[in-house]
Amino acid sequence: MAVTGTAAPRAAQKGFNATSLAVVAALICAAPILVVAWIALTGDTGDYLAHLAQTRLPTYLTHSAYVAGVAALGTGLLGTSLGWLIARTQFPGREFLGWVLILPLAVPAYVAAYAWLDLSTAGGPLYTATNGLFPTIRGSWGAGLMFSLVLYPYVYLLARDAFASQSADVYDAARTLGSAPWHAFMHTALPMARPAIAAGLALVMMESLADYGTVSHLGAPTLSIGLVRAWSGAGSLVDAARLSLVLVVVALFIFGLERAQRRRARSVTGSGKTRPPQRFVLGGWKGIAALLFCLLPLALGMFIPLGRLAYLALSEPSTTDLLDASLNSLTLAITAAIIAAALGLSTAYALRSKGIIATMSARAAGLGYAVPGAVAAVGVIAILSGTQQILDPIWRDLTGAVFPILLTGGAAALIFAYLSRFAAAAIGPAESALSRVTPALDGAARTLGATPLQTARLVHWPLIVGGLTSAGLLVFVEVLKELPATMILRPFNYDTLAVIAHSYAADERLGEAAMPSILITLVALLPMVFVARYLSSRSAGGQDR
Amino acid sequence: MSTPILTIRGARRRYNADTPALQGADLELQSGTITALLGPSGSGKSTLLRAIAGLEPLDAGEIICGAQSWNGNGPAVPPEKRRVGMVFQDYALFPHLNAIANVAFGLNGSDKKKRALAQLEAAELGHKANAYPHELSGGEQQRVALARALAPNPAIVLLDEPFSGLDRRLRSELRARTIASLKAAGATALIVTHDAEEAMAVADQLALMGGGRIIQTGTPDDVWMNPASAAAARLLGDVDVFTGKVANGQVSTPLGDVPAPDFKPGQLVDVLVRPAAISVIPADDGAYALTECRSTGAELAMTLKAADGSHWRASTPAPCDLRTGDSVNIKLNQTFVTVTNSAG
Repeated sequence: MAVTGTAAPRAAQKGFNATSLAVVAALICAAPILVVAWIALTGDTGDYLAHLAQTRLPTYLTHSAYVAGVAALGTGLLGTSLGWLIARTQFPGREFLGWVLILPLAVPAYVAAYAWLDLSTAGGPLYTATNGLFPTIRGSWGAGLMFSLVLYPYVYLLARDAFASQSADVYDAARTLGSAPWHAFMHTALPMARPAIAAGLALVMMESLADYGTVSHLGAPTLSIGLVRAWSGAGSLVDAARLSLVLVVVALFIFGLERAQRRRARSVTGSGKTRPPQRFVLGGWKGIAALLFCLLPLALGMFIPLGRLAYLALSEPSTTDLLDASLNSLTLAITAAIIAAALGLSTAYALRSKGIIATMSARAAGLGYAVPGAVAAVGVIAILSGTQQILDPIWRDLTGAVFPILLTGGAAALIFAYLSRFAAAAIGPAESALSRVTPALDGAARTLGATPLQTARLVHWPLIVGGLTSAGLLVFVEVLKELPATMILRPFNYDTLAVIAHSYAADERLGEAAMPSILITLVALLPMVFVARYLSSRSAGGQDR
Repeated sequence: MSTPILTIRGARRRYNADTPALQGADLELQSGTITALLGPSGSGKSTLLRAIAGLEPLDAGEIICGAQSWNGNGPAVPPEKRRVGMVFQDYALFPHLNAIANVAFGLNGSDKKKRALAQLEAAELGHKANAYPHELSGGEQQRVALARALAPNPAIVLLDEPFSGLDRRLRSELRARTIASLKAAGATALIVTHDAEEAMAVADQLALMGGGRIIQTGTPDDVWMNPASAAAARLLGDVDVFTGKVANGQVSTPLGDVPAPDFKPGQLVDVLVRPAAISVIPADDGAYALTECRSTGAELAMTLKAADGSHWRASTPAPCDLRTGDSVNIKLNQTFVTVTNSAG
């Protein structure tokens, strides 16, 4: 019967009000965009923007489209074929590769870009070895290529799970209707996985639009480059807000596409009874070919860049003290991860109550996903300076002194910007972790004598802790890699590893940039191993404990 | 009968304006008996069960267990204080706990592992004590769920469609096992089902539910032989209904006159005719035509057409050399015919 009631979850929440925390999450995520939109639509039109519209804006838009297009093509081809190989075939090393293939997500695209440009530039080892035949990795296509190498796991994960959950019956039906294997695949398995693949591509495009480090290093003038220039070069908040709005509109469009495709993906694959398909056994040279194909993105996206940077770091020992920057990076990442996980969990609980406010808050918070870091930073600046303008005269009247400058709120402002961008990334995983706690499990625990608090401790917590940890770790990795928001918002003399790496790389001092780049990647890899194994254990067995 | 262990009066529950789930349900459970709650999907069975467990609040009405009011006066007693065991439709085994930890969940004290193991052994699952739910078959999961519900020695055991996820053969085996376990524990049980055969097979008492109300209660035989209404009769099996007026202490139907001594002349009544009531006699110039004739193995299921064009279902033990198109006469066995007030 369809009457699995809501009394139990409601009772289980007694004591803390999840909905109000969900509203806080929504405000944090949505406020920067709203403020940016308001400033952009009401502020004076500066000369800079008029000039920009005539000269640079078309260039920014074209390059953004170019970069995102190449990234989508590359990740689409890589992610789909890898996803199919892992989900539907059997070859030596498949199980191990299943989760290892997710790890390149830990490598910032700009780190890959530093290494590959250095390798392939005129005079670099690849250039020399091939007599200049190997093309130099730069410009928009180069940036798109770098995104393909480190962002393909988004497509791979969604495609893999889509292929794995497909019923074999549809494929078999196509075979009995006269389709050859390849034809049957192209006309059943691939179209059924298409919504999932499209959702993955949308994530990739949003990430590549939000990037600053890679495109600035490889010389691809995208919208986010224009945005950072408008703020740090021209110093115009209104112009930065206007460019932000353009970027957000594009991102929101892709975001809407992603949500729609995800809904379709569920409707295509989630059809109750499915007979799992048999794996194609790839023996002999076919198995070896599959293995090599899977190792290729790992080599290109992870091992070769890290190897090159390690070589550079060792051959030109760095003189920079990275201790403070490392501590700053870790503090920011850990704080943001814990708060994001808490907000994600509260939102997931609020959603469980199915209240209207909770649902709307969760949707609003989800919008943060589409906000590029630079835009979030501009929004936070606008909020802080607006607050300052309101408080200054009041404070002066009250105390006679000058109000402390909010813009130097520093680390707190950074956390605000990170959360508005990444808290949304914790809501989805928290929601899916909590969805394993069905209302019947609550009912079972309660009828067996457990109080609401005991139910939360003995049933909810063990079931959600894995998903929640993995959500927090993902935010940790993202914050560790984050560059544009940090550059815009960081207090004077406050460095993170990403900022140091970027400044040295921008000065062409790659030997100095190598060490912080390696540190970011290695620190990000550890939690990524946990996340990758968690995601793979859940999809492979459907169960974990 | 003795005083009931559980009494439900006027239970009402509404999820939204259009679909009230319970519209004043009344029910009594007698100590040590197994009651089957039978009704179609959406009749409010599961809601009533969840309300008894305390998992669903009531908008109105009361639930009284012994001398204690669970719903009604003052705040509702929370589920953990009710000593009610529940077996859920999808079993709701805790996926992060193995079988023995699932069974021990509701137990306290230092010997709880031992008691849980004893309970599992009684279900012949001692060897699976360390298996996790996903490592158990559907039937084993059901047995663990029942063992878990029985372990704390609850006053009342509620079972929500406990056999619905199982295949036919396993179903009857587990049904027998479950009844044996419940009887051995001396439990008072309420089993929700939408399968009439199942309800008849397991129940000491039958409660028929429709439209958020209990429409009839009684022993399975009594309810089957004397349905209170056409709706109640349909829940338990095939029945054809003729609606007509009483005249001279009887109703004229296309199957002949049916006595209706307890009704006033001119009153509108439903005449409920089970297929077993109609005995078919082959006759070349019979008053009825066989429009359908199909063997179900042990029985021959027929549909016959009366002179007024109405269709009636009949059954007779197979084999039998009747064919579609044959003309027949009938004999009506009044034992399987019931006259009730017409629903309108």
